[in-house]
Amino acid sequence: MAHLLAEGLRFRQQNTIIHRLDPRLKLLISIALFSVALLTADLFQLALAFCAIAVPAILAKSLRRLSRVMVVSLSFAALIFVINLVFGYGLIRSSVLTLRFLAIVASTSLFFVTTSPDELEYVMRWFHLPRDFVFAFVTAVRFVPVLMLDLTQIIDAQKSRGLELDKGGPVKRLRNMIPVLIPLIVNALVRSGELAEAMESRGYGAVKKPTSLYALRFASRDYAGLVVTAAAWAGVLLSFRVI
Amino acid sequence: MAIIELRNVTFRQPNGVVALDDVTLDVNEGEVLAIVGGNGAGKTTLLKHLNGLLKPSSGSVKVFGKETKEQSVAQLSRRIGLVFQNSDHQLFSETAESEVLFGLRNFGFSEDEAARRSSEVFSYFELDSLRLRAPLTLSGGEKKRLCIAAVTAWNPDVLVLDEPTVGQDYPSKGRILGTIGRLIDAKKTVIVVSHDLEFLWPLGARTVVMSKGKVLRDGDPQSIYADSSLLEGAGLRQPQLVTISKMFGNERSFRDVADAVEWMARR
Repeated sequence: MAHLLAEGLRFRQQNTIIHRLDPRLKLLISIALFSVALLTADLFQLALAFCAIAVPAILAKSLRRLSRVMVVSLSFAALIFVINLVFGYGLIRSSVLTLRFLAIVASTSLFFVTTSPDELEYVMRWFHLPRDFVFAFVTAVRFVPVLMLDLTQIIDAQKSRGLELDKGGPVKRLRNMIPVLIPLIVNALVRSGELAEAMESRGYGAVKKPTSLYALRFASRDYAGLVVTAAAWAGVLLSFRVI
Repeated sequence: MAIIELRNVTFRQPNGVVALDDVTLDVNEGEVLAIVGGNGAGKTTLLKHLNGLLKPSSGSVKVFGKETKEQSVAQLSRRIGLVFQNSDHQLFSETAESEVLFGLRNFGFSEDEAARRSSEVFSYFELDSLRLRAPLTLSGGEKKRLCIAAVTAWNPDVLVLDEPTVGQDYPSKGRILGTIGRLIDAKKTVIVVSHDLEFLWPLGARTVVMSKGKVLRDGDPQSIYADSSLLEGAGLRQPQLVTISKMFGNERSFRDVADAVEWMARR
């Protein structure tokens, strides 16, 4: 399941209008999409807002990948629904909270599948977030596919030694994960140590304010995208009578 | 007798890339087979078909007469022991001994039998001094030999080694070669996948050359290693002894340096 989620959220370079947008605008589009879901409590409006996320996803040719992420998220959504129902929030309110969760997952996923780790770094630096934090976060994002590949290879190696991951009860299955998790964690730690040494050897931290080769700059298509997003967002909120 | 039969095997990855393209291959009992090719040739993908980690998109893979599609990875791994390229993907136990016992316990050996087999492989592979060491603290060569020992412990009918020389220094390569030699002496069926032809040359094994998911040639090492254009096309480099043999106009390639010196002395 984690594998499906990581694969679904992985950035792939594509030549679409959404991919070409400035990453700050892509972030704004994501925020605009889920803010609608947060501002309305009407079930029908929420369903419409959730479906609206499909529009930029289609433009980004990422609808199928986004759908995969949503399928994985459904189990968490079901959990949210059941917990709210059990704690007496009622059918409508529980459905609203569940749909909000799905809308937040879909809109943030849209940002991640259309934004490269480099662009993510530029956006975070544009917000003047601490450099070490930005580096750690972006590196973690970059390493997800590598760790998933490691995970697949470790599972293959242990299965070849007779380990049957999906046999036995829940406790046995959890115990079966030990031969998979230990090499995965050890490899990740070794790799992070090596990366830290390599970064230091290449001058990381030598100056307090390093220069940047690339600066974010709005192009005309970004201004157009900003106007369309703002107009659509205001239009939807007005028609929903939220503002 | 063919114990592994691949017939028109094609494997398509989820992203659509064809990793194996119409591969047909037999592996006979007691034979040593070298599968060679550059990066992305499909060698590891082919190996993963042998113990059922991957199932063919089309075609058939039979191991001991049975389709791999009808058997679990555990069932197949009991007979086809696969040693992966990266030792760090396999080692997780506190001691080298428990690492060897892991597979034996998974395959249902009794504690007494597992202990006996473990002690046997430690002495067979000359790893006795490392028995209580943490596997993660071992050198690259020691880790590799431990991984081979851990798989050999349950005595699979076929031993498959994926890129055994990657990251190994010269003495470690020599020890791994010695290990393979002992398995061959024990009449084991051994499949070695590598792009290190210098390492494979002394084995004198039947060789399969792969490139872009296809089998380019399957035959005896003398003729394959002498064909430099075939090897270059597959992203490989001819072993130096073969090149020197050709330079001296010797029809039969030198087996090793001693063979070359002897030939020169005779001339």
